[in-house]
Amino acid sequence: MSRFERQIILPELGPEGQQKLRQARVLVLGAGGLGCPALLHLCAAGVGTIGIVDGDVIAQSNLNRQTLFGHSHIGLPKAQTAAEILKEKYPDSSLEVFPHFLNNKNVLDLLVQYDLVLDGSDNFATRFMINDACTLMNIPLIMGAIYKYEGQVTVFNYGENPVNYRDVFPIPPEFGEIPNCSETGVLGVLPGLIGTLQAAEAIKLITGIGKVLTNRMLFYNLKSAGFYEVAINPGSNEKAGFPKDLVAFSNKDYNITCGLSRSVSWEKALDWSRSLKSSILVDIREPGEEPVLDREDIHKIPMGKLLKDCSGLQGYENIILFCRSGKRSEKLAVHLKNQFPEKKVFSVEGGILHPTSPLNSIEI
Amino acid sequence: MLAEKLPQQEFEFPYQKNSQELLEALGKKFPVLKDMKFSLAVDKQLVQENIRLKGNEEIALLPPFSGG
Repeated sequence: MSRFERQIILPELGPEGQQKLRQARVLVLGAGGLGCPALLHLCAAGVGTIGIVDGDVIAQSNLNRQTLFGHSHIGLPKAQTAAEILKEKYPDSSLEVFPHFLNNKNVLDLLVQYDLVLDGSDNFATRFMINDACTLMNIPLIMGAIYKYEGQVTVFNYGENPVNYRDVFPIPPEFGEIPNCSETGVLGVLPGLIGTLQAAEAIKLITGIGKVLTNRMLFYNLKSAGFYEVAINPGSNEKAGFPKDLVAFSNKDYNITCGLSRSVSWEKALDWSRSLKSSILVDIREPGEEPVLDREDIHKIPMGKLLKDCSGLQGYENIILFCRSGKRSEKLAVHLKNQFPEKKVFSVEGGILHPTSPLNSIEI
Repeated sequence: MLAEKLPQQEFEFPYQKNSQELLEALGKKFPVLKDMKFSLAVDKQLVQENIRLKGNEEIALLPPFSGG
C-alpha cells in the first residue's frame, strides 16, 4: 500500500503514470501565492524531483496566500523553508533549493536540469525572461498569474505548433502600468486556485492524462465564478522582441525591456556607495518605519519628500535607493530616472528585508 | 483589470469594420485604454493581425497579469 494508492487505481494513471511522476523533474519559480499550492500538490502527487527558486524571505503580509508558511516562518528564506516543510510531509520527494532571484545570466544552467517549469513569479521582467528561455530551450512552461480577483493559466511550448507568452502579449508592459498585488491587494484563495490549476496541468503533462491546456489561455474571475477560454495561434516571435538565440537572450536587458529600473544587490550597493565617485545611498522609507538602520554611509530621505522635491540629489551621479522590500525603491528609481535622465539610478533588490542587507550583519 | 476602468464589465459597442478600427474606436471612447497594454480576442480567438469583423462578434480585452 503506497501513499499514491488512490491515484494509481485510476486506469489512466496506473503504476506507469506514477512511475512517470516519480521520474519527473519540475522547476517551480517562486514559492509565493502560486508556488505554495503548486508545490504542495506536486509533492503530494509524487513528483520525484522539484526545484524551488525564490530569493525572498517570508513576510507577515504573505501569509494570507502563501499557504505553506505560518507565523513561525516569518523572516525565514522562502525556498529553503518550503523545501523543509515539504520534505517533512513527504520524505520521498527530492527537493532542490535555489535561494536566488533568477536572471538571464543564471537561468540557463538551471533550466537544463529540468523537464518542465511552473512559473509562479510576480513580475513581468521574470515572466518574459523565463518565457524566452523556455521557448529557446524548448522546455514546457506552465504559466499562472493573478490580479486582485482574476487569474490566468496556460501551458506554453508544448505539443504541435506550440505558443508562448509573446504570442499572447508581444510587448512587455511598462513598469507601473500593471500594478502588483502588494499595491492592489489579492484575495488569498485566488492564487490557491490558480497555483493548483498549474499543478494539475503539470501532472497531466507528465502522465499524459487528458488534454493539456495548451494553445489556449484560461481566465478565471473569482467574483463571477466564471471561466473564459481564449484560443492562441502561434504568431511571429521575431516581430515581438523575442531574442533570436541563447546569446541574444543572455545579452538582453529584461529589466529595461520591462521598464524596470536597474536593480542592484546589497553587496554592490554598499561597495558602490563607498567606491564610486559622487554616489549616494538613500533609505527612502518614511520616518518611523522599522527596522531602523543607522549608518554613516546611508542618507535618509523619505520617498514622499523625494517625489515632491528631488533637488537634493542634483549633485550626485549615482543614486542608489532602498526601501523595505525593494518595490517602492524600484518605483521611485523610475521616477528619478525621468527627472535625471543623465544620472544612474539604482534600486536595491529585496530592500532592507533581503537576507544580505546590512541589517542582518549588525546587532539590532 | 481593464473592466474596473470601464463603466461596465460587458457592453455593446457600435460596429467597426475591422479589429484595428475597433481598437482605435475603443481608445477614443475610453482614453484610459490607450495607456494600457492588452490583447484582443474575437469570438474567443486571440487576434494579432487586423481581421475583418461582421458586427455580432464577442470581443474580449485581455490584459497581462504579473502577480504570483
